Amino acid sequence: MTYDVYMHFPVIAIMTLFVGAFLVTLVGKRQAARNAIAGAAVLVSLTLLALLIKPVMVDGEIIMYWMGNWEPVEGYAIGIAIEVDALSLFFGLLITIAVACSAFYSFQYIKQDDARGSFFTLYLMLSGGVLGIVLSGDLFNIYVMLEVMTFAAVGLTAFRTWNPNAREAAFKYLVVGSIGSTCALLGTALVYAQCHTLNLAQISAILPGELNPTTVLAFALLFTGFGCKSFMFPFHPIAADAHGAAPSSVSVLISGVFTKTGVYGIIRVCYFLFRSMGLSSVQIMLVVIGCISMFVCVTMALNQHDFKRLLAFHSISQIGYILTSLGLCTGLGIAGGLYHAINHTLFKGLLFLTAGSVLYATGTTYLENLGGLAKKMPKTTALFLIGAFSISGIPPFNGFYSKWIIYQATFEKAAETGSIGYALVTVVCVVTSVLTLASFIKVGHSVFFGQLRPELAEAKDPPLGMRIPMWILGGLCVFTGLFPNVMLDYIIIPATGAVFNAVPYIDTAMGEGYAAAHLASTSPFVTPNYTLLGGWDPLAWLVLFVVVLAAVFLCSLAGRSNRDVNCAPDSKHAVFFGGEEAQYSHISGGDLFWGFKHTMRRYLGFVSGAHTGVTNDYVLWGVTATAVIIAYCFAFML
Amino acid sequence: MEIMDFVKYAVYILIFPGALFTCVFGLWLAGVDRKVVARMQKRKGPPITQPAWDFLKLCGKEVIVPAGAARLMYMAAPYVGLVSLIVTVLFIPIGGLQAFSAGGDVVVVLYLLTIPTLALILGGSASGSPYAGVGASRTMVSVMAYELPLILVLLAVARAAGSHVTMDGYSILGATFSLEMITRVQELIGPLLFDWRLLPAAVAMLLVIPCEVGQHPFDVGEAETEICEGPLAEYSGAPLAVFKLSHAIKMFVMTALFCALFLGGIGTGMLWLDVVLALVFSTAVTLVCMTLLHAISARFRVEQLFKFFWTVVSGLALGSLLLVWFC
Amino acid sequence: MMLANYIGAIALIVIGFYAMIAKHDIIKIVVGMGLTDYGLNLMIVSIGFNEGGTAPIFTFGELVSGMYFVDPVPQALTLTSIVIGACVTAMALALCVRIYNEYGTVDSREIRRLHG
Repeated sequence: MTYDVYMHFPVIAIMTLFVGAFLVTLVGKRQAARNAIAGAAVLVSLTLLALLIKPVMVDGEIIMYWMGNWEPVEGYAIGIAIEVDALSLFFGLLITIAVACSAFYSFQYIKQDDARGSFFTLYLMLSGGVLGIVLSGDLFNIYVMLEVMTFAAVGLTAFRTWNPNAREAAFKYLVVGSIGSTCALLGTALVYAQCHTLNLAQISAILPGELNPTTVLAFALLFTGFGCKSFMFPFHPIAADAHGAAPSSVSVLISGVFTKTGVYGIIRVCYFLFRSMGLSSVQIMLVVIGCISMFVCVTMALNQHDFKRLLAFHSISQIGYILTSLGLCTGLGIAGGLYHAINHTLFKGLLFLTAGSVLYATGTTYLENLGGLAKKMPKTTALFLIGAFSISGIPPFNGFYSKWIIYQATFEKAAETGSIGYALVTVVCVVTSVLTLASFIKVGHSVFFGQLRPELAEAKDPPLGMRIPMWILGGLCVFTGLFPNVMLDYIIIPATGAVFNAVPYIDTAMGEGYAAAHLASTSPFVTPNYTLLGGWDPLAWLVLFVVVLAAVFLCSLAGRSNRDVNCAPDSKHAVFFGGEEAQYSHISGGDLFWGFKHTMRRYLGFVSGAHTGVTNDYVLWGVTATAVIIAYCFAFML
Repeated sequence: MEIMDFVKYAVYILIFPGALFTCVFGLWLAGVDRKVVARMQKRKGPPITQPAWDFLKLCGKEVIVPAGAARLMYMAAPYVGLVSLIVTVLFIPIGGLQAFSAGGDVVVVLYLLTIPTLALILGGSASGSPYAGVGASRTMVSVMAYELPLILVLLAVARAAGSHVTMDGYSILGATFSLEMITRVQELIGPLLFDWRLLPAAVAMLLVIPCEVGQHPFDVGEAETEICEGPLAEYSGAPLAVFKLSHAIKMFVMTALFCALFLGGIGTGMLWLDVVLALVFSTAVTLVCMTLLHAISARFRVEQLFKFFWTVVSGLALGSLLLVWFC
Repeated sequence: MMLANYIGAIALIVIGFYAMIAKHDIIKIVVGMGLTDYGLNLMIVSIGFNEGGTAPIFTFGELVSGMYFVDPVPQALTLTSIVIGACVTAMALALCVRIYNEYGTVDSREIRRLHG
């Protein structure tokens, strides 16, 4: 073991966050001290995980840590394990990056709030819980962390005392979320009943192969439980409520990070614990759920009038992409899904932070009350555009690259299986992407462009402390889009490899040869085939760069020739409307896309009406979904 | 070698088929379009060089930025749109000549093609004019409308070409997203247009082209008689010229894409002759799908357009996809 | 005998879900959450129970191979789950109080500012 020293990093990364949470409470009223502790905690855990890239991602090591040194005895793992393979580290990195950026943003951002004292306690608990889930190697521990995370998230959702909707959102979140927790715990208990162990690695070795009714039920329950945490359809309404009501820096966590734990859980359950992903029924289930989430949520987003609520629906829509892609069970599919997962965290984090900046500057996120902010908040606008282009998949931003992989993956799957259904999945993905673009045009038009609302004349860009985290996220969006090969080589491909090959994960925990002794087949599901992973030719990049440079040059030339053009508010520079100088006449968000809305009015009216906002209805959806998934699993898996 | 490659790419990008050529050919195509429309309507029509002169004249005019506009976006949008169009051309094989190729460049082209429209929308939106707001909204609806049939067409072609791919190393797939592969398949089996299963897709594509370009029956976003050219309402001088140029280039890009998808592989083996042939085809397609439609039809309303594309055109494309899949 | 436990557990869970679906009083919804939780706890404890086993409390001297006792791990899980359940209930009730203050009602049909 040359990596002895790294062994302690994951557990320290988690503990730092929890210890930080308590220290923040201890220092009490001193704001600077609170910020210092929180900042230090998130940075330490980010650094520790970043240091693990070399051993885990590059050298392919798996970091194993037994809490209290309770190593497995006679092939039974009783102690609680922390096991970090490339997949865990992938999610860990994505989480810590989002957590760090969002924490630094919060220092300034929560100055408007009245109950600042407990913010970072909850915030660090949430971060610690999330990190605990992805790094843990113990099923029950994952459940506990899930609850810690849900708790902190509910607390933070209800946090804004001046937001009248916050308590309602938190309550719905807690109630509907409890369905997911119940399912996850019941599934865990059933898995324990079958295997008499809670260690992920050991379960992965013992459980697969014998699909009896109990394991199928356990699978369905765990799947639903983690699906609920990823807010897949039909658990999505609570996500929309919670994201909208929580402070923006927390929305970043709930949307970018919290949902990823659900995705992570689904990967672990499907690819590791039950190794059921080879069954086409499970693939179809995941793909169908993904597609429905994708499409329903994007159409819901088009209907929204609140910036953050709109972003929330998009977040589920993007989760739909990830689930669809993961459900394909091909090398390309997993790579695309994971790539989209990290991209989603980056661009959605950025977008929520810009929404927060708008809220910070203007006091509202209601689209109809905003307009023309580009003149007053140019930097925020630029950041928003980066985020919007990324999520809409405009090349060369990062969303484009991952969507590109996803389209290829779905279509490759269609060609492979000869089933036209997967080709239609590609179609749904593309249409969703266009609708995403449309709804961000709606946001762009009604918040940043168009005419400036008279009452927003005082708005200005947020302070530097809030802009720096946004620029970091924006920079990462551009980086992951421009240099996909770096990302693929160092992050995505190792993580994809880890998904397909559970054997090292099992053997590291339980000792060499354990997997071979217990698993019916130790071969990976499929041999990952990355040949279709469309890559940019570096030389082409260079030349493309020259073109862009030339274009910039052209722009600046054009700019120079009319730099002296004044924008004086005289009649020459005024906007005319029917021969008269236009009064304030902004086309607001709700009035956009009439042709689309008119044609689709029945559907849009139906989905909008279905989201009644009554807690009971959402619970009903959740329970029905659980029942349907269980029934489906029993019908098609046994 | 590196330098030679660089020079080669520089020539591709700046001269042929990149910036210089596309601009000239696009403007010429726009001129031809206007001339033929005029003749169909029994007018004499402007000279074919008229769009080029218009472009030069506009470049010399004063640029007025409205007082309420988001200046940077307003000024940058046309140039961004132009550059992305030129980049798109580089990905489309013209008579077998493809400057860039990537594994799945159909998707790249699909997404690059949205950027010019996006630039138009954002530029208009940034101008602060209510006309532009309405125009931006309508333009986006037309994007939503044509994107569904377009992807269906692309999938049908990808499947049809992919099922023929039996060349070395590519035989496993049964579908291809690579324009290069699609061209090579057509060299072997003849143009896909003559594949009866793909005829509905070709018709759908011919209807998508004018909508994507913003040509007459589908120009809801710029409807000059209703909303004063929508997003362009406030534009003047060089930015307006660039938008007009982009519009002209788009005609060329879309028709070239059609030729690459459906009329590839007709050639003599001589590169320059093939290229000339491809350009002739482009012009022919332009005349069929844009000029003819322009001359004989009246503008759709925006919701009619959306409905038309999501039912009739998508239906054609979907039918084609089903035929390709199951026949 | 264990069958009764399982039936009881499932019944509790179902009643809990029923309350969460059908009862419009948010306090009753919280009670439903609690019931689900209890059902779950009962289920887990029953899973770990061995007919005729003794309590798993031994000192090192007494522990020999082949002893028959109930599985302690599910009991540990249940303890944790009970604690978590209590916290969930407390938090939910706290939210109910705030919601009542803000909306003046505990009817979930009227607590729907966030919809559509």
